[in-house]
Amino acid sequence: MGSTAETAARIATAIDAWNNGPVAKSLAKFPEQRTAFVTASDKKVERLYGPDASIFDDYDRKLGLPGQYPFTRGVQPTMYRGRFWTMRQYAGFATAEESNKRYRYLLEQGTTGLSVAFDLPTQIGYDSDDDMAAGEVGKVGVAIDSLADMETLLEGIPLDKISTSMTINATAAILLAMYIVVGEKQGVAADKLNGTIQNDILKEYIARGTYRFPPKPSLRLISDIFGYCTERVPNWNTISISGYHIREAGSTAAQEIAFTLADAICYVDTAIKAGLKVDDFGPRLAFFFASHSDLFEEVAKFRAARRLYARIMKERFGAANPKSLMLRFHTQTGGVTLTAQQPENNIVRVAIQALAAVLGGTQSLHTNSKDEALALPTEEAVTVALRTQQIIAYESGVTNTVDPLAGSFFVEKLTDELEAEAEALIKQIDERGGVVAAIEQGFIQKQIEQSAYRFGQSIDSGDRVIVGVNRFTSGDEPDIDLFEVPESTTQRQVEKLQRVRQSRDSKKVEAALANITQAAASDANLMPPIIDAVREYATVGEICRALAVVFGEYAESHS
Amino acid sequence: MEKSLKPRLLIGKPGLDGHDRGAKYVAQILRDAGFEVIYTGIRRSPEQIVDTAIQEDVAAIGLSLLSGAHNVLFGRVLELLRERGAEDVLVFGGGTIPPKDVPRLKEMGVAAVFTPGTPAREIVETIDGLLAQRPAV
Amino acid sequence: MERSLDQLVSEARGGGPRSQRAAARLMSVMTDQPHRLAELLAGSRDWPQPRLVLGITGAPGSGKSTLADHVVAELRALDPRRKVGVVAVDPSSPFTGGALLGDRVRMMRHATDSMVYIRSLASRGHLGGLALGAKGVVRVMGLVGCDIVVVETVGVGQSEVEIAQNADVVVVVLAPGQGDSIQMLKAGLMEAGDLFVVNKADKPDAAQLQQQLLAMLERSRTARLDLAHGASEPLVCHGPQLQGPGGPIDIQQDRPPPPMDFDEETPGVFLCSAANHQGIKEFVAALEELTTRQAALWQARRQEQAVEEIRQAVLEEVRRRVSHVLQLNGNGENQIRRILAGETTLNELVDWLMDVAASGTNAKSPAASDAKSHLRTEAAGRAEFA
Ligand SMILES: Nc1nc2c(ncn2[C@@H]2O[C@H](COP(=O)(O)OP(=O)(O)OP(=O)(O)O)[C@@H](O)[C@H]2O)c(=O)[nH]1
Ligand SMILES: [Mg+2]
Repeated sequence: MGSTAETAARIATAIDAWNNGPVAKSLAKFPEQRTAFVTASDKKVERLYGPDASIFDDYDRKLGLPGQYPFTRGVQPTMYRGRFWTMRQYAGFATAEESNKRYRYLLEQGTTGLSVAFDLPTQIGYDSDDDMAAGEVGKVGVAIDSLADMETLLEGIPLDKISTSMTINATAAILLAMYIVVGEKQGVAADKLNGTIQNDILKEYIARGTYRFPPKPSLRLISDIFGYCTERVPNWNTISISGYHIREAGSTAAQEIAFTLADAICYVDTAIKAGLKVDDFGPRLAFFFASHSDLFEEVAKFRAARRLYARIMKERFGAANPKSLMLRFHTQTGGVTLTAQQPENNIVRVAIQALAAVLGGTQSLHTNSKDEALALPTEEAVTVALRTQQIIAYESGVTNTVDPLAGSFFVEKLTDELEAEAEALIKQIDERGGVVAAIEQGFIQKQIEQSAYRFGQSIDSGDRVIVGVNRFTSGDEPDIDLFEVPESTTQRQVEKLQRVRQSRDSKKVEAALANITQAAASDANLMPPIIDAVREYATVGEICRALAVVFGEYAESHS
Repeated sequence: MEKSLKPRLLIGKPGLDGHDRGAKYVAQILRDAGFEVIYTGIRRSPEQIVDTAIQEDVAAIGLSLLSGAHNVLFGRVLELLRERGAEDVLVFGGGTIPPKDVPRLKEMGVAAVFTPGTPAREIVETIDGLLAQRPAV
Repeated sequence: MERSLDQLVSEARGGGPRSQRAAARLMSVMTDQPHRLAELLAGSRDWPQPRLVLGITGAPGSGKSTLADHVVAELRALDPRRKVGVVAVDPSSPFTGGALLGDRVRMMRHATDSMVYIRSLASRGHLGGLALGAKGVVRVMGLVGCDIVVVETVGVGQSEVEIAQNADVVVVVLAPGQGDSIQMLKAGLMEAGDLFVVNKADKPDAAQLQQQLLAMLERSRTARLDLAHGASEPLVCHGPQLQGPGGPIDIQQDRPPPPMDFDEETPGVFLCSAANHQGIKEFVAALEELTTRQAALWQARRQEQAVEEIRQAVLEEVRRRVSHVLQLNGNGENQIRRILAGETTLNELVDWLMDVAASGTNAKSPAASDAKSHLRTEAAGRAEFA
């Protein structure tokens, strides 16, 4: 019996011989379907993988055990044997009343966490009656102008029992402030609140576009939130560093890891520079990734991301608390993989993607609904999406053991490759002076744009098959029932806003807003004055304007 | 005329939606098809888009929107074009647009609507065709 | 129906909502049919003209568009009544002829400012950093009242001579962290610059780049002074030698002196952080000052260029008409063979071609080259050979 390295080498030789011998002979008669096989991210895939000796020789450094550094095999020791992931369906539309109804419905159906979608004016900080908000009120999420809307949104939902995830970035401080004040009014102290704000502004410049202020003051807002929550809202996840939107914008899997972790590096740097200790806020950093249909590549991606992050936190930032080293993440199935054609097919895509997320060890999961390429989902479609998660959890058996794909020659190899590719990209970003510089130079956007272009071309050429789109099309599409945001939404929301403006104490509001501007100009933490202003029913738009006086506004300048 | 030049086009993203993957991809395939394409970037007002289109003397404006605000914002672009005496500029659109909204948009004056998954070739051919029908100005 | 140039010009000058469209259309005529520049110039006697045409060139990504954006913002802030134009050139794809014109993304904040006119051009395979029609587009910007026109070149390190010919002042933008900046200076960009902006001053290496640039400029200044003192001949730019009926035409006659004489001073170098609007005020102030001093000179030079432009156009038109007659006759195949056979002479053929070409034109106004005169030439040409 030789060493593992010898065994691996012997098998590699055998595979070579097999490729050159029997395979070559059979290829002459039965050629393969394609000359090159690639993953969804265009990574070359071999015919057959053999063992890599490092899996054994380097086991501790590469894999370790679940719940232990480098967390490749998962962040908890028992994973889904202990508890399933959080089944969290992103929802929100029109006004706070309507969204509140949908949340209560979802909780009844068995979701275990709320996930609030805000409309674009709220995300960017324009009130519903602002010219900039024309056409957008209540469209992609719920419109929140003031505390009054937040009170309605969360009515009847016990904030001490539920965890709430809010997809909010540029205006995260304001919406978090509202959540804290609603908690107060429900009698729930801030240190009993559970939830997450996305609060990841960097990926907005890269991929999603809901920025308001330039990068520097935006980063300051983020570290103010870190600082405030560390003291006062200790169970809050203060950021969800998101690769999801980077992937949606067209990146490859490796780019998704790289750009997300590069963002993370910047946030950690910023917080450390602001005087926080890495092991104080590190445990509260959470991540958010996409899951696409290339099952093995996705599983490898999640594993590679965990390993690389642990190493970065340990080696680059000297984090010691195991919780600072763990990459905990939420997953959403890939919105861009949904097709408008033959929408029922999307149910199957979502199932595969959800499976990949679970096999990859996700902590929480949103499954897209079949109709989301066409409109916001209907209740029926959301229910099927949720049932998909429940079937994976309760029927598939994949949750019975931890990290079931570990040791697959292919998955381990892909994990190594994705990690190496991501690490090389992070190095390039470092050389450009960090992620903010790389964004300002348009480097990251260009990389993503090029991947998106290649992917698009591969579909347009027919090289990559998308069922129902460029193959197996079926002519006329059947009608499906789509959800519609009521036409009256804007008007109702604007009327409510006007009532709020009339009934509040405008002197107090003005004073509170002046305090915000003043705090923005100093280096005081911005959370307390924002909370004060929110309590006086100052609106999201007003607070953003008060900040913009000092911060300025950001506009895209890259083509 | 020395040689036949393809008309100039503008691809714009009105409103607050920042998902520009589709808009950029369409801009690129139109470039590949030989068009000169002016791209505006995200979060532009209908006014900015129309004023740009006029200054750049484009034959058509392509609008991409995924937030659902298309009825209002595409409508506003068409209205501004009429106000500025530029109703001959063709408007086409794409994004997350429910099939049921398509007839309404066409009635408003949107010449073509491309929903996700429309092949590049079809987009290029449709635009070529529409521009060919256009009376010379 | 295609509107005539005259119609478009009068609409563009008329103000009102139609004027913007007419001006834009005129610019398209200039870019799509660049040979019609002379036609435009011929009617431009009483047009307003920009006081300053500022060329911006430099390596890709050095910040040309950002600088243009901030210069425009500054100019507009200084004088709200002043109209400003921007012509931004991006490369065309050599394979498809298409182009993605993205310079404008950096200037979108001016999109709804009716006092700012921005036009994106594709280079359409034209080398030299500009587009063929750029000169005409600048003229039209003048026509609609732009006081200052900023012209951004492609910036791919091609010959920068063209921008020097088309702008009153050329500013070369350099930025740290781009190895190509110094390379491009060495490759001739330095000679093209009247002014230099070392951009991205917010970056650590900017000061070093500025030092390098100053040293290079100093070296080249000394070299130029040596040259000037060594040879007493004034440096003149030699254009193509044109042959007229009375021998060579001397197009150098009565030329004004080279517009800017920097022999005695090192060209201005500005340290800017365009993205942060830093150093822009100083740069714009220097431009204003320069403009006040030199505008008359530039005006004269532009007049001279118009003369030259029309001269070229006249010759080109003559050549076009004569070769057209030739073309109608199988490219003169038979005639040329007859010359070779000694049955006729070269001069006879030339005289004959000119006669035919001339007989189809309006003798009273040979310069007017409207479309109809081409048709008449054609008819005359056919008749002769029938
Ligand atoms: N740090 C810094 N970056 C700047 C500055 N000015 C421009 N940039 C950045 O430099 C990059 C290139 O800027 P552009 O203005 O597009 O440069 P350009 O020379 O017009 O580029 P091309 O037209 O592509 O040749 C952009 O990412 C700008 O944001 C500056 O003063 N400081
Ligand atoms: Mg540029």
